[in-house]
Amino acid sequence: MVKTMNEPKAVLIIDDDSDFVRAIRTLLEASGFKVRSAPNGRDGLQLARTSQPDLILLDVMMTERTEGFFVLQEIRRIPELSKTPVIILSSIYSDEPTFRVDPDAGWLPANLFLAKPVDPTRLLTEVTRLMNESALVKSSSEAVRR
Amino acid sequence: MLADCIFRYAILRIVARIISMPTSTQEKTIFIIDDDEIIRLSCEQILRKSGYTVKTFANGYEGIERLKEVRPPLLVVDIKMPELDGFEIIKIVRKIDPDLVIVVITGYATIETAVDAMKMGAYDFLPKPFTPGELRMIIDRGIERWRLAKEAQLLRKQKEEAERKFVTLVSHQLKGPLSAVKQYLDVLLYTSKDQLQGETLEWISRSQARIVEMIGLIHDWLMLAKVERGAFSDRTVSSDLEKIIESVVREYRQLPAAANLSFHAELAPNLEKVQGDESSLNMLVGNLVSNAVKYNKPGGSVNIRAGKSGTWIVLEVRDTGIGMPPSFRQRLFEEFYRIKTPETQNIPGTGLGLVICKRIVDELGGSIEVDSKEGEYSAFTVRLPIANAKEVEYTKAVGK
Repeated sequence: MVKTMNEPKAVLIIDDDSDFVRAIRTLLEASGFKVRSAPNGRDGLQLARTSQPDLILLDVMMTERTEGFFVLQEIRRIPELSKTPVIILSSIYSDEPTFRVDPDAGWLPANLFLAKPVDPTRLLTEVTRLMNESALVKSSSEAVRR
Repeated sequence: MLADCIFRYAILRIVARIISMPTSTQEKTIFIIDDDEIIRLSCEQILRKSGYTVKTFANGYEGIERLKEVRPPLLVVDIKMPELDGFEIIKIVRKIDPDLVIVVITGYATIETAVDAMKMGAYDFLPKPFTPGELRMIIDRGIERWRLAKEAQLLRKQKEEAERKFVTLVSHQLKGPLSAVKQYLDVLLYTSKDQLQGETLEWISRSQARIVEMIGLIHDWLMLAKVERGAFSDRTVSSDLEKIIESVVREYRQLPAAANLSFHAELAPNLEKVQGDESSLNMLVGNLVSNAVKYNKPGGSVNIRAGKSGTWIVLEVRDTGIGMPPSFRQRLFEEFYRIKTPETQNIPGTGLGLVICKRIVDELGGSIEVDSKEGEYSAFTVRLPIANAKEVEYTKAVGK
């Protein structure tokens, strides 16, 4: 899927808390992002596949206690999504020091972990930063291919 | 790491289920060890009629070997046998399976031998000669006892498991709604700040502050519950206190409450590693520095010192704050205890921070003390054991 420069960047939120989704959607849309959302891992994966978002915000505890982690592993198995930035956004992050894992550690390939509720400025900064980084990687790899 | 844990947990659950779900044949299997062939045959016949699966052995060695594999609920064993006698067999099988119900057959039914056998863990005894009815009664009772013990065991396990899950789940259920409310308010303030009037703005800020307070309380309560269950801190690893202090100071410096405070850290050069894991030490230092920030005076300072004293690393966190009278000090490490004075009434806190600190320090084999002068300062001194050389080497070797 080729995107022109003017097309708004798309964010996919996978989270079962509709109020949380609504708040984040409002924030992102006010900042010019296009937002899609799914209330569970299965629908989220489906939507990620079909819509090819520029970034994914992923909750952990949904129907299953660790659903988000498995969704993330699935996302990375899909070639077109393997490089898509993913931010794990969860309230478990803050209470479980053991969940503070290194994004580089292979088993949980998230780009960033943020605690819920998230500071709006922080979220927007990180979303923009990760999108720019991945766009850079994409264009440089395309340049190499040429 | 976590995925690995989840995987191992899943396997354990499956294994636990298989173990706790005895097949009906296993549940009704009875081992008989007796050198007397007539006893073996007659017992087998009687018990088979009652629906039991019976395995007989002429000597102890053979029986014990099979018992390791089959794990029957009940063993009938003769006391007087050549080679391995009944007492020796009881001693060995008790170690293999502490739950095994043992019934002793004794030819000379003296009270003494029976009592001796019971002392060693036999459940009941059967004096020779016995009638089929007597045998059946004792075996039925023994099997019933084994079943009840297994049931109690399973219930106990389920209860522990439920308690463990409860804390995490409840905390998630409580935090979910609060998070959503806070998120609405955060986004509302961010996107519509310009359109909101003075008092509306203030009320939203107050609401945010109260929600943060509540989330903090749930967080601390969860931590305390974890710490109370024990095995929260890990004494087998060692951590670099200097690194922990640095990261905690970096974190707390950014807090609005720390805006007009100065931070000083005075750490002895080449500080040895302390015994304990990073996350509990982080929480310990974090809680102490957080207090030093919260209970300070404008323009005050937070001073952190760490050095070696014998086999201990001594850490001191000192503020230049409101301090406390001596009468408050003893109760400081009690749950939900908060000093109530006009100065403290607007300081948010859960009254659990120091309790958590105390538990962590206790678990790591250290100590915590407080010194204070009202209106001048509070100083918390923590002593933690230096990690021993072996552990440091190990940590280096595994590259952690």
